[in-house]
Amino acid sequence: MIKVNALTKDFPLSRQQRKELNIDEKIARAVDNISFECHPGKVFSLLGPNGAGKTTTLRMLSTIFTPTSGTIEIAGIDAIKYPQEARKKIGFLTGSTGLYARLTPVELIDYFASLYSVPKNELESRKKYLFDLLNMHDFLGKRIGKLSTGMKQKVSICRTMVHDPEVVVFDEPTSGLDVITAENIIKLIRDCKDQNKTVIFSSHIMSEVDLLCDDLAIIHKGKIKHEGSMLDFRTNMQESNLTAEFIRIVQS
Amino acid sequence: MIYNIFKKELIDTLRDRRTLMMMLVIPILVFPITLNVFVGISASFQEEAAVKTLKVGIVGDKNSYFAQQLNEIPSEMGAKKLVFFKDSASLMTELKKDSIQLGIITEKQFNQSLEAQLPARVTWYFDATEIGINERAEQYMKIIEVKAQQKRYDELEVDFRKVTPFQTSYQNIASDKKMVGQIAGGFLPYIFIAFGFIGCMYPAIDLFTGEKERGTIETLLTTPVARWQILFGKMMVVVLSGLLASSAALLGLFISIEFLNIVDNQEIMKIVHEVLSPLFIASMFSLLFPLTIFFAGVMIPIAVYAKTFKEAQSIITPLNIVMVLPAMVGFFPGIELNFITACIPVVNVVLATKELISGTLEFAYLALSFGVMVMLALVSVFVSYKQFGKETNVVS
Repeated sequence: MIKVNALTKDFPLSRQQRKELNIDEKIARAVDNISFECHPGKVFSLLGPNGAGKTTTLRMLSTIFTPTSGTIEIAGIDAIKYPQEARKKIGFLTGSTGLYARLTPVELIDYFASLYSVPKNELESRKKYLFDLLNMHDFLGKRIGKLSTGMKQKVSICRTMVHDPEVVVFDEPTSGLDVITAENIIKLIRDCKDQNKTVIFSSHIMSEVDLLCDDLAIIHKGKIKHEGSMLDFRTNMQESNLTAEFIRIVQS
Repeated sequence: MIYNIFKKELIDTLRDRRTLMMMLVIPILVFPITLNVFVGISASFQEEAAVKTLKVGIVGDKNSYFAQQLNEIPSEMGAKKLVFFKDSASLMTELKKDSIQLGIITEKQFNQSLEAQLPARVTWYFDATEIGINERAEQYMKIIEVKAQQKRYDELEVDFRKVTPFQTSYQNIASDKKMVGQIAGGFLPYIFIAFGFIGCMYPAIDLFTGEKERGTIETLLTTPVARWQILFGKMMVVVLSGLLASSAALLGLFISIEFLNIVDNQEIMKIVHEVLSPLFIASMFSLLFPLTIFFAGVMIPIAVYAKTFKEAQSIITPLNIVMVLPAMVGFFPGIELNFITACIPVVNVVLATKELISGTLEFAYLALSFGVMVMLALVSVFVSYKQFGKETNVVS
C-alpha cells in the first residue's frame, strides 16, 4: 500500500538556472500538494506529459528525494522518517536504469541481494525462480556490458525483484525499449499484480496505461488534474478516445 | 554493508582497464622503463665521449704555445687532434660547423706577456650544449696553468710553499645516508604523491560521476543502505587505489634498483636497502594514508558535483598540478620540517619523508604532520559526505 498526502517538492534554482528560465523565483515547485493512494493487487498509473512531475514523485516515493512537505507511507512505514526501512519494501525500475557493465548478471544480483540483506538460503531459491522465469540461464556468466538490450532489461527486472518487494515502482519502464523488450516489462507488471503487490508506474503513453492500470492519476505541472479508477475514467470521458481525453484534461 | 559496497566497487574497478593501467601498470613500469632508458642513454653517451677524438682548433702552427702544451698532455685524458688555423675567423667558422669542438684564441701579445711574467690572455671557445667539452677544456687549462705557474716560481726562485699561505680542505661531515636523503628524499615523495593522486583520480570519477552518467546510482540509492555507507564503501576503494598506485611505484623503483644495475656504488646500495626497510615503508604509509584520504576527499565532491566524466576530468586534472606542486618543495635544499612546514599539507609529507630517509626526522614533527593530515582527511571526508548528501548532486 502507498499513501501519499499533500506531497510537495521544491528545488532551489541557481542564478544560472533563473537566467536560463527567465524567472525571478529562487525555487521551482516540481510537485505541488498531491495526494493519492495505491492498493495491493492493483496497478496505479501516474500519467502526465514530460516535465509534469512524475519522476520527482516516484523519486520521493523511493526516498531518493526528500519531500519539502507532505507525508508518504510505504507498506505501513513512514517513508520520510524511516527511509531505510521503507526502501526494504520497494523495488524500483526505470526505462533508463543503468547496470554495472563489468559485472556478470549473477554478481549483480548477488550484490543487490546483499544490500537488501536477503538471507543466503532464500537468495538461492529466489535466484532460481527469477532466472527460470526470465529465461536468463544462457547469459548468467557473461559481463553485462556484452549483453543485448533485452537481456539487460531482464537483469534489471531480476535486480528489482530479488528481495521480493511489496511495492514496485516503475518510472517510465518501457521508455526507449523495443516492443519485445517492453513486453517483458508489461508481463512483469501483470505478475506483480497477480502476486498482490502494490504497483505504481509512470507513463506518458495512454495505450500502455489502458492496458495495465486499475487506477490512475493525471499529473500536470506538479498538480493532480484527475484521480480515480480506470473504469470511471473510461465511463466519464468526454472525448472519443483515451488519448484525446488525456490531452483535454491536461489542457483544461 | 560498507564491506559489500567496497567489495563490489573493488571488483568493478579492477576490471576497468583504464583504471588498472593508471593504478598498477604505469606506476610499476614507469621506473624500470625510464631509468633503464636514462641509464642506457647516459652510458652510451659516456662510451661515445670516451672514444671520441676531440678536435682542438688553434690559431697558429704546431710550434705555438698551446700546440706544444696540448701535445704534452697524455692521451689517457681523452683522444685529441690539433687543427691549425691562420686566423680566428676561420677557426670560429669551423667551430660553429662542429668540425672542431674546441677553439683556442690567444691575444696578439700572448708570448710577450708570458715572457714578461704578466698574465697572458687566452680564450677557449666551445658549444656548451655538447656534453663534456667544457670539462675537457677546464682540465687541459688546469694542467697547462699549473705547469706555467711552476715555471714562473722557478724563474723567480720562489719556494712554492711560501706563496701558498693555506692548505685548505673541505670535508663533508654528512653521512652517506643523509646525502642520499637529500638527493632521493625530494624525488621519492614527489613520485608517491603524484601517483597517489593519479591512482585516486580514475576510480573517484568512475565510482561517482561515472555511476551518475551510467544511471546506476539511482538504483543504488533505492536500496536500504545509508548514503554515508555508500560513500564510505566507494571512498575506501578510491583510497586503496591511490595507495596501490603509490605502492606500485615503490615496487617499480625497487625492481629498477635491484635488477637494472642503476647504482654502481655498493655503499649507496647498502643505504638504499637500509632506507627501504619495513619501518621506513610503514612510516611512509602512515603519512601517505591520510594524504590519500585527503586526495579522495578533495576529488569526491568534484566527482559528485560533475554531471559527466569529461566535466569531472576537466576539473580534477588541473587540480593535480595544484596538489602535486607543493611536493616539489622536496627538491629545494634548506627547507626543513619545522612547526610551520609540518602544518602545510603535502609539504609536510614530502619533508617528513625526506628526513625519514636522512634519519634526521624528529618524532614530534612526524606526529604533527600526521595529525594535520588526519585533520584534513576528516574535513575532506565531511565535505564529501555533505556533497553526496545533496540530492540534486547525486541524481541528475
